[in-house]
Amino acid sequence: MVIVKRKTLTLAERLYLPEILRGMSITFGKMFKPKITRQYPEEPLPTNEVTRGQPRLRALVDGNLACVSCGLCEAACPAYAITIDGQETDRFIEREPEKFEIDMLRCILCGFCEEACPKEAIYMSTELELAGFTRASFKYGIDKLKRSTEELAPRMEYIKRINQRW
Amino acid sequence: MNPFLIVLIKTSVIYGGLIGAAALMTLAERKFSAWMQLRHGPNRVGPWGLLQPLADGIKFIFKEELCPDGANPWIFRLAPIMSAVPAMLTVAVIPFAGNVTLFGVDFGNLSITDLDIGVLFLVAIGGLSVYGVILGGWASNSKYSLLGGLRASAQMISYELSLILIILCVVAMTGSLDLRAITEAQNTGNPLSWNVFSQPLAFVIFVIATFAETNRHPFDFAECEPELVAGFHTEYSSMKFALFFLGEYCAMIVMACLTATLFLGGYSVPFWEDAPWFIQLGTFFAKAGFFAFLFIWVRWTLPRFRFDQLMHLGWKVFLPLALANLLVTGAVISLA
Repeated sequence: MVIVKRKTLTLAERLYLPEILRGMSITFGKMFKPKITRQYPEEPLPTNEVTRGQPRLRALVDGNLACVSCGLCEAACPAYAITIDGQETDRFIEREPEKFEIDMLRCILCGFCEEACPKEAIYMSTELELAGFTRASFKYGIDKLKRSTEELAPRMEYIKRINQRW
Repeated sequence: MNPFLIVLIKTSVIYGGLIGAAALMTLAERKFSAWMQLRHGPNRVGPWGLLQPLADGIKFIFKEELCPDGANPWIFRLAPIMSAVPAMLTVAVIPFAGNVTLFGVDFGNLSITDLDIGVLFLVAIGGLSVYGVILGGWASNSKYSLLGGLRASAQMISYELSLILIILCVVAMTGSLDLRAITEAQNTGNPLSWNVFSQPLAFVIFVIATFAETNRHPFDFAECEPELVAGFHTEYSSMKFALFFLGEYCAMIVMACLTATLFLGGYSVPFWEDAPWFIQLGTFFAKAGFFAFLFIWVRWTLPRFRFDQLMHLGWKVFLPLALANLLVTGAVISLA
């Protein structure tokens, strides 16, 4: 058997009004506290090198992609979001992607492509925003995916640091 | 100037002000509730979200109007009007300020009319708005609406009783049913002559009863969302839904004005007996604005009562207290 002990109320508590005024003083005080809501478009989300945003391709200093179109990211992708067509090139790396396409609607931002890449060519950026009017506009080609080495440098440093553990 | 034209100008200014104030109050409700919950509130439409009521109104007008199957269409359409119109009518007798002279034209006292039976008019017309609620609830052919309407009418009738008894105390002290006479009796330049100091218990009961009378938290059983979906306006959509809210906010503003008039001396400025009309108007707005803020403040502080507690409070606590208060007031007046 559960015995519930009810507190006997004092006269001030039974009158309600002092307690109501106490509650109202609390809500009034809260009105002037700093707001905790983030005003999203004006105040973007905080990101750092740990943020796993959308995948982006790294370009070398000469502006060409570091990718050799080996297809490992394509194979590692659990969502089948990546499509690569390779071609031969006169550059030292001998192969480069003719078409590198990521369907951003399929991509689940898991980061497996980044882990699979042997040439440090694909990294998860800090870019999180994704909006468009047609499905076709979410198929990102090389023109939309290419980022300079400086932009991806913090993430590269972070991945190197993590990989040193193994 | 043509007296008819003067009345027309005063009427349109005061009604325009009332509708504008009701619109602003919907914004204030959302803003203050947001601030009390550490949020920002609407701030996208216009500067600081000031045009939000306009955006809401446009949205309401373009929404589809629905009339449920089995509903009584004429009463269903009549109910929002029955709810909004009495609430707006009551502002006619509120005295906002003394004699107004603007651009060399004497507009007379700033109120639509100074009825000799102003208090009676206000209570009688204000009491009609319960018809809107119960007809809307009944005509919707929905159990939630019907229960909401029944509760609202029971609640408004039981609290109207103590509300009127309290008003009678003030009327007995002044000896007039004219709201301007009641204000003038308190306008002595000394704030201690305000009725709130001679009738503190009546003031407390009156403020709480106005909450029940306007169906506001913690007594909003007419639209008790955890139990009744949305109460009497569950089936309403579009501008008809908005009309119920317009009526509710207008009733709140009028009740805030009435509280300020009856107990805080209306437009009387402390220590300045014959202040110019715009100072009187500002003072009146400050007092009524405080009570309008109180409606919002209490709503976002207190949880809802239980219905039997509400009836207990109304019939077993407020009614005897109000009667005793009236008795003591009468005794003091007749002995003094």
